[in-house]
Amino acid sequence: MRATWDIFCRVIDNFGDIGVTWRLARQLSQEHNFSVRLWVDDLQAFQRICPAVAMQVDWQTIEGVQIARWYDEFVVTADLVSADVVIEAFACQLPESYIDLMRSKQKVLWLNLEYLTAESWAAECHALPSLQAGGLQKYFFFPGFTEQTGGLLREAKLLDLRDALQRTELRAQFLATLDVQVKADERLISLFSYANPSLLGWFEALSSDSKINHLLVLQGPALALLAQYFELPELHGKQIYQRGNLKVQVLPYIQQEDFDRLLWSCDFNCVRGEDSFVRAQWAAKPFVWQIYPQQEDVHLDKLAAFLSIYNKGLSSDVKAVLEDAWLAWNTAGDIGRAWPQLIKHEESLQKHAIQWSAQQRKLPDLVTKLACFYQDWL
Amino acid sequence: MKTAQEFRAGQVANIDGSPWVIQKAEFNKSGRNAAVVKMKLKNLLNGMATETVFRADDKFEPIILDRKDVTYSYFADPLYVFMDAEFNQYEVEKSDLEAVLPFIEDGMTDECAAVFYDDKVISIELPNSIEREIIYTEPSVRGDTSGKVMKTARLSTGHELQVSSFCEIGDSIEIDTRTGEYKSRVKA
Repeated sequence: MRATWDIFCRVIDNFGDIGVTWRLARQLSQEHNFSVRLWVDDLQAFQRICPAVAMQVDWQTIEGVQIARWYDEFVVTADLVSADVVIEAFACQLPESYIDLMRSKQKVLWLNLEYLTAESWAAECHALPSLQAGGLQKYFFFPGFTEQTGGLLREAKLLDLRDALQRTELRAQFLATLDVQVKADERLISLFSYANPSLLGWFEALSSDSKINHLLVLQGPALALLAQYFELPELHGKQIYQRGNLKVQVLPYIQQEDFDRLLWSCDFNCVRGEDSFVRAQWAAKPFVWQIYPQQEDVHLDKLAAFLSIYNKGLSSDVKAVLEDAWLAWNTAGDIGRAWPQLIKHEESLQKHAIQWSAQQRKLPDLVTKLACFYQDWL
Repeated sequence: MKTAQEFRAGQVANIDGSPWVIQKAEFNKSGRNAAVVKMKLKNLLNGMATETVFRADDKFEPIILDRKDVTYSYFADPLYVFMDAEFNQYEVEKSDLEAVLPFIEDGMTDECAAVFYDDKVISIELPNSIEREIIYTEPSVRGDTSGKVMKTARLSTGHELQVSSFCEIGDSIEIDTRTGEYKSRVKA
């Protein structure tokens, strides 16, 4: 009999939580043949990244994964039983009545899937138990970039699909589906960001660059800034806005597979949060990461921790400009000044991005590690 | 009830019906509003030790234990011996002192508290603030008097911590034992 997995996802804001858990659920189901149920409290956010999601129903099955609407008041029906493995994603609180179900089942593995960080303490906490009342067995599972952590989400065929797109006509074909036509001498850049007022300086730097920068903007706060930059009330899709050497095109909400293809197709990616951060690394393209801002600037420690491992192998001058640019991007610094310095090293950054992706590929992916953890626990 | 992040080394929590002494607690911010506390615990009923992680807001019932003022007396491998005002001696295992060990040194006069469970000392609590002498550090950086530039200094126990760059060998410094961090240089 197939082992059953329940994944609980509370959408706090944006698409990171649902983005990660949806990938996780699909991979567990499709590549490891588990029976997976994904509990989501915000189907609207889910639908944005997966248009197949129906808003009106409480239960539905998509790509082999059962999707359950998670109401604030969690009702335990007579036929509801706890799964064999229960994942609370990003420390979302499981419903008490569901925890009671877990207690009533003989053996349940309870996992708290944590946020991704390169900080050393995460490796020290990874896979440790968390003592619970009632004999429940709970463990913390930390994704990460080293053997000592839980790894990164990476579907089995992901990098082969990427290579195929990057080496063939598939790139142009994919871009055409987004109405994007890019010339050989243009730099194609994707922008997916949180609010960041200093982007205005970056737009100016792109505009005054010697090369044409074709900027593909995903839905988000950057659109309002671009409208401000072009002195327009708002920007619309299907239209290209140009000032100097900056060409801007607005993209609609796109589903996860297309987001990956977009990152693979661009020469440079600007990403945010956790899910797109990981996907940008698999794209093997130079990128800048806007980290989710936290109180007391603790996110900057997280940023520095990642840079300290990502930067290994770069020359000291490239390292310095990369750190400078990423810090400016994350602290409302002068991106307009940092960008020309960074892009001067585009070739080195490109080589490094390929090496980094290849290095990470050698490690087991997160879902494989989860499946192994479950087998070992049994 | 207290949250996991409110517990300190030496305190005891009732977890799933058993008393567990916290030998070490490390707080880490995880992401957004999540935070975790990694703890080294020892079960006071069967002596079993474990490393565990809690969400910072997980709640446990604290167990209030007897305390007695003591001072450090000597080390008799593998036990640390403390003495109270009536000259009663209490032996404490190294594993029960992990959180305070970096600051236990011969000749220290700090008024500590021995924590008892079942008439046995299970941990030692140091005062929140202690003074220790720097036995080694790199020479001072000329011109920096702000205290914001830090450098590594070593105590007689071998423990290293970050201190202001103007501190020198032989200086006494004040340390916050709750965080293990340097607070200030003590004026002679």
